[in-house]
Amino acid sequence: MELLSNLALGIATAGAPENIFYCFLGVLLGTLVGVLPGLGPTATTAMLLPITFVLPPTPALIMLSGIYYGAQYGGSTTAILINLPGESSSAVTSIDGYQMARQGRAGQALAAAAIGSFFAGTFATFVIALAAPPLTEIALQFGPPEYFSLVVLGLVCSVALAHGSVMKALAMIVLGLMLGLVGTDIYTGAPRFTLDRLELADGINFVAVAAGVFGIAEIFRNMENENTRDAVIAKVTSLWPSREDWRRMVAPILRGTFLGSALGILPGGGAILASFAAYTVEKKVSKYPEEFGKGAIEGVAGPESANNAGAQTSFIPMLTLGIPSNPVMALMIGAMIIQGIVPGPNVARDQPELFWGIIASMWLGNLMLVILNLPLIGIWVRLLQVPYHTLFPAIIAFASIGVYSVNSNAFDLYAVALFGVVGWLLLKLDCEPAPLLLGFVLGPLLEEHLRRAMIISRGDPMIFINFSERPISAVLLTLAAIALVIVLLPSVAKKREEVFVEED
Amino acid sequence: MTANRKDLICGLVFVVIGLLFAVGSTDLDMGTATRMGPGYFPMVLAGLLILLGLIIAGKSFGQPDAAIGGIPWRAMLLIIPALCFFGFAVRGIGLVPGIFIVALAASFASSKMTPLLAVLLSAGLSIFCSLVFVKGLGLPIQLIGPWVRFW
Amino acid sequence: MSFFSLARLGFAGLLAMAPALAHAESVEQFPSGPLTIVVPFAPGGSNDTLARLVGRDLEKKWRQPVVIDNRTGAGGNLGGLAVARSEPDGYNLVMASIGTHAVNPFLYKNMPYDAVKDFEPVTLVAKVDLVVVVHPSLPIKSVQELIDYSKKNPGKLNYASGGNGSSQHLATELFKHLTGADMTHVPYKGSGNAIADLLGGQVPVMIADMPIVAPHIKEGKLRALAVGSAQRSAAIDVPTLQEAGVKGYEAYAWYGLFARGGTPRPIVDKLQTEIAAILHDPRNQTFLRDLGAVPSGNTPDEFAAFQKSEIDKWGEIVKPLGMTLD
Repeated sequence: MELLSNLALGIATAGAPENIFYCFLGVLLGTLVGVLPGLGPTATTAMLLPITFVLPPTPALIMLSGIYYGAQYGGSTTAILINLPGESSSAVTSIDGYQMARQGRAGQALAAAAIGSFFAGTFATFVIALAAPPLTEIALQFGPPEYFSLVVLGLVCSVALAHGSVMKALAMIVLGLMLGLVGTDIYTGAPRFTLDRLELADGINFVAVAAGVFGIAEIFRNMENENTRDAVIAKVTSLWPSREDWRRMVAPILRGTFLGSALGILPGGGAILASFAAYTVEKKVSKYPEEFGKGAIEGVAGPESANNAGAQTSFIPMLTLGIPSNPVMALMIGAMIIQGIVPGPNVARDQPELFWGIIASMWLGNLMLVILNLPLIGIWVRLLQVPYHTLFPAIIAFASIGVYSVNSNAFDLYAVALFGVVGWLLLKLDCEPAPLLLGFVLGPLLEEHLRRAMIISRGDPMIFINFSERPISAVLLTLAAIALVIVLLPSVAKKREEVFVEED
Repeated sequence: MTANRKDLICGLVFVVIGLLFAVGSTDLDMGTATRMGPGYFPMVLAGLLILLGLIIAGKSFGQPDAAIGGIPWRAMLLIIPALCFFGFAVRGIGLVPGIFIVALAASFASSKMTPLLAVLLSAGLSIFCSLVFVKGLGLPIQLIGPWVRFW
Repeated sequence: MSFFSLARLGFAGLLAMAPALAHAESVEQFPSGPLTIVVPFAPGGSNDTLARLVGRDLEKKWRQPVVIDNRTGAGGNLGGLAVARSEPDGYNLVMASIGTHAVNPFLYKNMPYDAVKDFEPVTLVAKVDLVVVVHPSLPIKSVQELIDYSKKNPGKLNYASGGNGSSQHLATELFKHLTGADMTHVPYKGSGNAIADLLGGQVPVMIADMPIVAPHIKEGKLRALAVGSAQRSAAIDVPTLQEAGVKGYEAYAWYGLFARGGTPRPIVDKLQTEIAAILHDPRNQTFLRDLGAVPSGNTPDEFAAFQKSEIDKWGEIVKPLGMTLD
């Protein structure tokens, strides 16, 4: 069997002591840098990239992959502990993860993230090993209309990210979409809403918006009545998930893994949707939907699994086509070129050792991630016992340098301050930030694919719903329409709001 | 008639933001359905946001009022300028004073902070950040910038 | 805002003093600290990769860190601006592209710097071949067939590019201008996304950077028709567009290093010598050529003349097309 011999080659390569060491080093450095607030996986990988230049190609790429998983997990850690997500996918984790931390259940949230990620990583590694080339062919069937319909479905479902009023959640999505449009229009080059600032020509920086509406807004809220309201978190009773937690984690991890693996394959960046989609699914199928947004462990386990599975399978278009589906993969491609390897379909054939070595090291990297992070949970949780008035200046200092380090752009700091105030105001008005952030991330994609599809079809909207020509798009849009009806049905909407009011 | 002031304000905020974006879109070319101009999509979204804002505001009437709560003036007046200052000045003054100032200003947002602790904390943070970001990660930023270097 | 304008005035005063305070450094001592190469585009592109390649080898030679600083925005103008505003000491370089230092002045009404006066040319790093590719599902095997097909099916054929004003876009508009081919522009955010839709057949034609598409051409997933440069490419052997009958066509992407205008000539020369040596290293030569890039390493004067010729050439092409971006 070719597959078996390939896997054996991969395991032999990844199992070489030197490669194990660099894999571990990558995961360790990625985690440590990734937990710095404001530093998401892209910034972390870009900063650590030069370290790998001194290594031969295989250990260099294995180490880079390790840095990537480590940084992702590190980003989830800050999302849970201090409500500061470093990238869009961990914005979802912070919804329930941060609430769990406030209830003294940070340990359980971090453990759920680590265990879910490990399982998802293991599964996704097998998907890549078994079926990368055929999956690539399927992924290429996704053209502009399919991506548009997928994003519409994602947006409709994201109403579930909020637990309050449907109307407010919708408004927040639309506001996010509009903020996402700030910058240069890719079709005409026209600047939009840039207020004649050159710094806005490339749009508002995601990290700045996330740090503002999540991190800084939360600090303002805690400062509102510092002496009367206790911003300090509840006492930590245990670090480890209870039997009940385990029972509630299993199914979300499985569902999240499957969803994330499927979405991550799309070269146009389906992994962005993975964690949002997983959250929506969990909330819909859960027996306790009212707990979502208030510290439901499913809301951490599902999205974190989906996130990690998607991160893993996003290697597929990179390894088989040389197409980067996210900025980190673009960096990996750059690293390959510097190492003298031409990325593309030839890698699997010309460099089987490298190709299968990276795949086998993915599983190894995930194993190291869980081994490394389970003991660290105790340390992170202890960090939360630092009195809040000492902790928050540190958060602000780290967020400042973290955000600045991404683009070296002063304007990003002004954006953090502005979005801190906006986020605080919206929180006061019972508008939750997660749908805004999703809209912000998906807005440019939505418009880009809509307009591109319309150019290709010469203005015929049938391109989205013509089942015989574009079956995938037609099915996705039908699902979106059904979801929209469910969301807007008065009885459902009413129940949501009642639940919200009664628990407020 | 009573109204939920929170929802009313919220709806109006969305209407105002929608109007601002709509005004901003008027300069942009709307284009046609085949070749949508840069103004097409924002205009549609702005309209949608205004509509949603009106619905939220409309539904607020007849609802019991909800308290809005306090405004953290002290935190805002310290933290917002601190962040802006950092962005504006860090390239000029360098990371060490930059972090020190931002952390010091932020510290006093809390009434529980003592001056001694604030100084110690800010100094610790600026050393830590310098080691991690400049020495460790090679961030292209000077520790002490040209604006405060008089030698 | 008055606080900020006041503060800005104060700091501007300090800033003005800074160069006077910085003591002059002799060429022998250069470089005595870390160098920065500003990349005006996101990590991972040709521009970024070449910068990292040069940076890696410079670091080895000089034993000083070389920092790659990705400053994206406004078609690369933000990155160019960062170096235009830096100290003229040779420590800050920008990996310029056809956009930042030749075409943008024609495309952007509000250009934040002067692409010639604000910079000191160091050396051309590499020219990158552009290649005309089509999806194999199209019944097109030559450049002439492409032109005929597009004219027989007016308004049907689409072509992809890495964005408005990108070298792929300009090269295709030049092609249309010279041949009368009828194709509609579908811009993408970067070449990577465009290639995915090109491979999927969603948009069937593109004039693309050779390094990105060469592996797919070799696999038969894309069909190469011709290259845009005057000489054939070492990566894929197809005719040049001139050989294929498009008279006067020459287009390629290029990347080169500039320092801030006013940088002392001895320092510029030292940088150029070192970088040229890196580019002439046989290993780098073979590698870059196999990718479809032609490494250069020419002198500052040659590079200055090259930049001028590019500005003249694209000015003549872009102006009649009436393309503007803001």
